[in-house]
Amino acid sequence: MKILSFQQLPYRHLPADFAAKYDSIVTTPYFELVDPRLMHQDHVHFLDEMMHAARCGFDGVGTTEHSQASYDILPNPNLQLAALAYATQSEGLNTALACLGRALGKSKEPLRIAEEYAVIDQISGGRLIAGYPISLSYDSNQNQGIPPIETRARFGENIQLITKAFTEEKPFAWNGQFNKHPSVNLWPRPVQPSMPVWAPAVGNPVTLKGILDRNQAFLYLSWFGPKLTGHIFDRYWDMAEQCGRDKNPYRLSFLQCVAVGETDEEAHREYGPHVQNSFNTGLGCIPLQSMMIPGYHDIRGVEALARDPGDFGIFPKMRTASYAEIVDAQACIVGGVDSVVEQIDELVKTRRIGNLLLMVQHGSMPTELTKKNISLLAEKVLPRLRASWQREFGVDNWHNHWWPTGFSR
Amino acid sequence: MNSINIKGPERDEMVSAWNGKINVRVRIAGSGPALVFFHPASGLYWDQFLDNLAQDYTVYAPEMPGTTPGDPYAIYKINTYNELLLIYEEVMRKLGLQGAPVVGLSMGGMVACDLAACYTSLFSRLVALAPAGLWRDDSPPAVADVYVAPPENLPGFLFKDPSIPAAQAMLSLPENPADIPGHIAQSVWNLGCAGKFMWPFPEHGLRDRLHRIAVPTLVLWGKDDALIPSVYADDFGKEIAGSDVHVYADCGHMLQMEKLDQTLSDVRGFLA
Repeated sequence: MKILSFQQLPYRHLPADFAAKYDSIVTTPYFELVDPRLMHQDHVHFLDEMMHAARCGFDGVGTTEHSQASYDILPNPNLQLAALAYATQSEGLNTALACLGRALGKSKEPLRIAEEYAVIDQISGGRLIAGYPISLSYDSNQNQGIPPIETRARFGENIQLITKAFTEEKPFAWNGQFNKHPSVNLWPRPVQPSMPVWAPAVGNPVTLKGILDRNQAFLYLSWFGPKLTGHIFDRYWDMAEQCGRDKNPYRLSFLQCVAVGETDEEAHREYGPHVQNSFNTGLGCIPLQSMMIPGYHDIRGVEALARDPGDFGIFPKMRTASYAEIVDAQACIVGGVDSVVEQIDELVKTRRIGNLLLMVQHGSMPTELTKKNISLLAEKVLPRLRASWQREFGVDNWHNHWWPTGFSR
Repeated sequence: MNSINIKGPERDEMVSAWNGKINVRVRIAGSGPALVFFHPASGLYWDQFLDNLAQDYTVYAPEMPGTTPGDPYAIYKINTYNELLLIYEEVMRKLGLQGAPVVGLSMGGMVACDLAACYTSLFSRLVALAPAGLWRDDSPPAVADVYVAPPENLPGFLFKDPSIPAAQAMLSLPENPADIPGHIAQSVWNLGCAGKFMWPFPEHGLRDRLHRIAVPTLVLWGKDDALIPSVYADDFGKEIAGSDVHVYADCGHMLQMEKLDQTLSDVRGFLA
């Protein structure tokens, strides 16, 4: 299996009454809330922590893209990944760089994304994993002005254009609905002849079908609590079978929030307030309507959600969710080494997870505590998870077709 | 609560348009001379205003492609707002409605104005009820706000007084609980389809075309419109030569519901 350290970039110093007064997207007042020196510090700490994870032996580091948000200040994660590409390269670290990713339903400039990916792949010698989410409704529609009903069509055209731009030998013209280019001829191209693609999604069946049709890895983001949304794993593997795809565990990448201490008591005491802060002020402060602006979801999807809102798990109550509710839903797994290993291992084995991303920083969590979490995971959790995975799936000798294949590999 | 009685459409006509790719359902009621009605972004809701117009006219109300139940993906066959206008013009021709008066509400008002500006002899008279279509930085329409508002806030955008029976009837859910998810999905989808032409702003340069409107025009607005502020009534009045503008006090966006009698009286007087 492959295990990556994943982080968002929240502003870590939000006031205690944030959840009562503000949303974490679109309208969050910057100057009212931000101390410029602390914002700078958060950006540097983010990179420090990613490098710490790479040095500790995680197989990769990953991050994602959101604009105009206080819970994830990564309007273009390729900027951070470019820095990490060089820093890891200069230290001889063979760490995969997962951009999870650039939101193609939102992008009005997909060739710029292709160029940036190619540059990161060049700097890193072919260590990039390319993520192509559709994008959340608020980000593509409110922030970027894309008509909601065009979001998926734009995603579809953009991914075709990027794929062709990476591989087509001769310059070509692109006359699409959303992109018109007399000549497309990228310089540079990626090191990797076939970039591994992970498709982040929250389990919409229409999205899953597209992922399987394109033979990409599905990256399931578990912020809504895997105990409440476990049916999405079943849906994915059932659909994979229907599409004639094999049961290769590497087809499934899974993100789990985690905070590990030496003991359960220590973990809850040290991480608890930050974990609760993270959910209450981050995802919890995204208004539900901003995730489903009319037209963004297919009419069948809206009807299905109206009948059963289960895909959203704990999300609708996250703004006020108690720490116990967050932990009970496994939205974040918090505990001592044994209980963390036990819970994650069960998820990995029962859900057939090949690529595991562990989200290691939460809300207000300061950098030293974040590094402690990373260190303990690397030292005491990862080896046991890997050994267990090998016992469960090793015999089948699955090949990870969704892992970088650059110069150093 | 829902003590009002609405007769609704009496028959439908399916019009094949756009080289046979789209079937436009036109809902029809009444007898007498033809009158065309273009619905707002929320889809065609047949209310007392249309019932009353149908006493004097044969009301033809085309549904925007995508909003007709059972045919949601027709919207994907239209690429641009200009194509929507071409499709509506084709439907008018195929039904022989050239020369009829036209009434448009909100987004439908924008459509009616644009059709009258593009095809100057298509309609005989134009009634625009709180039409979309213009933009002012000092008073932007709240269309995007409506799209992201929680459902409980929606009535406040549409009505000065959401407690009136007509509003309650429009906003009520189906009595059978099993029908509610489908009803919600259709309502949300209707807005989604309209968003193709309304998001993020219902502004396609109409201000520069309004001068082409050459038929007598009546513009009606609710003074307290929270969706498209009534300051736009003056703009339409200024840009459409000879137009008649009335702004109703104590009235929100859905003026034909909140001030039904006054709206009917003004529209009938104007069309007579």
